[in-house]
Amino acid sequence: MRWTAKESALFFESKEYIDTALVPLTPIAFDEQGRETGNANEFIQLITMNIEKQFKGRILLLPAFTYFHSESDDWKNQLLASWLNELKSNFKHVFIISTDQSWKPILEKSGNEFIWLPAVPLEHLEDEYKTTIIEGQVKQLLNLFVMKWQNAVSQ
Amino acid sequence: MSDKQRVTRRQFLTYTLMGVGGFMAAGTVMPMLRFAVDPALQAKAGGDLIATGLKESEITNEPQRVDFKFDQQDGWYESQVTQSAWVYKDNNGDIIALSPICKHLGCTVNWNGNEEFPNQFYCPCHFGRYEKDGTNVKGTPPRGPLDRYDYEIKDGVLYLSMRAKPRGGA
Repeated sequence: MRWTAKESALFFESKEYIDTALVPLTPIAFDEQGRETGNANEFIQLITMNIEKQFKGRILLLPAFTYFHSESDDWKNQLLASWLNELKSNFKHVFIISTDQSWKPILEKSGNEFIWLPAVPLEHLEDEYKTTIIEGQVKQLLNLFVMKWQNAVSQ
Repeated sequence: MSDKQRVTRRQFLTYTLMGVGGFMAAGTVMPMLRFAVDPALQAKAGGDLIATGLKESEITNEPQRVDFKFDQQDGWYESQVTQSAWVYKDNNGDIIALSPICKHLGCTVNWNGNEEFPNQFYCPCHFGRYEKDGTNVKGTPPRGPLDRYDYEIKDGVLYLSMRAKPRGGA
């Protein structure tokens, strides 16, 4: 599900089936890293929309957790922690996905499902190659979700 | 000049009223006629079929996944839509093109998606299952069979409709 008028309504109707949240963490910068963050944003959007398409009935894709690159770590960590708290009280599984490496140590230490992906430069790619690359990456990611769900069943 | 037949006032009014009345009558009757003949004027389903790039000779008894793309005008926003289908030939040699969208909550189902359930479509989200012909397996979450695409073979290539159509419940 996506967080839209129609699908959020469906979400509340079928809440017991949608037990997984997917949160993209998206940095923005206006300095020399700016273009990189633009690319990363598109990349993560494509990846997450593809995952959502495969698992529409079980995953809620949240609007991205967006922050400025220059913001202090403490502030970002605090805000994200409160997001995750809220999500965990509503979902059995919470997956976090980002191209921003700086989250890795914190999130993995606190036992979150964190997927870090290096962003592929999309600027000069034709749509067809873009789709192939994204689909290839998503295929590998799908297993992470299936495995997590299966573990939860067998426990 | 004077022997040319002159239009009397009475005639003039009659003609004018007949003319205006005629337009008004046409105004009400024409839409009705248009509605009545509309089905006959509809574009044939063939107009909306999309070439898939799969040749008829490549279609086997084993369902295979076909992706096909087309442009869609969505309000003011034009986007490219990718649809997928599971295509195979049944025992009578008829082509079946099933939508991979699970009828439960819309996940994507896969043929032989789970080793424990061979020769079935399997939904990884809530373990819904479908037989080869798309019929939902009782006792799993889906409430109806998988939708089917209309198809056509043109020049040996498979064409599919943009949208799959639902079938009656099992």
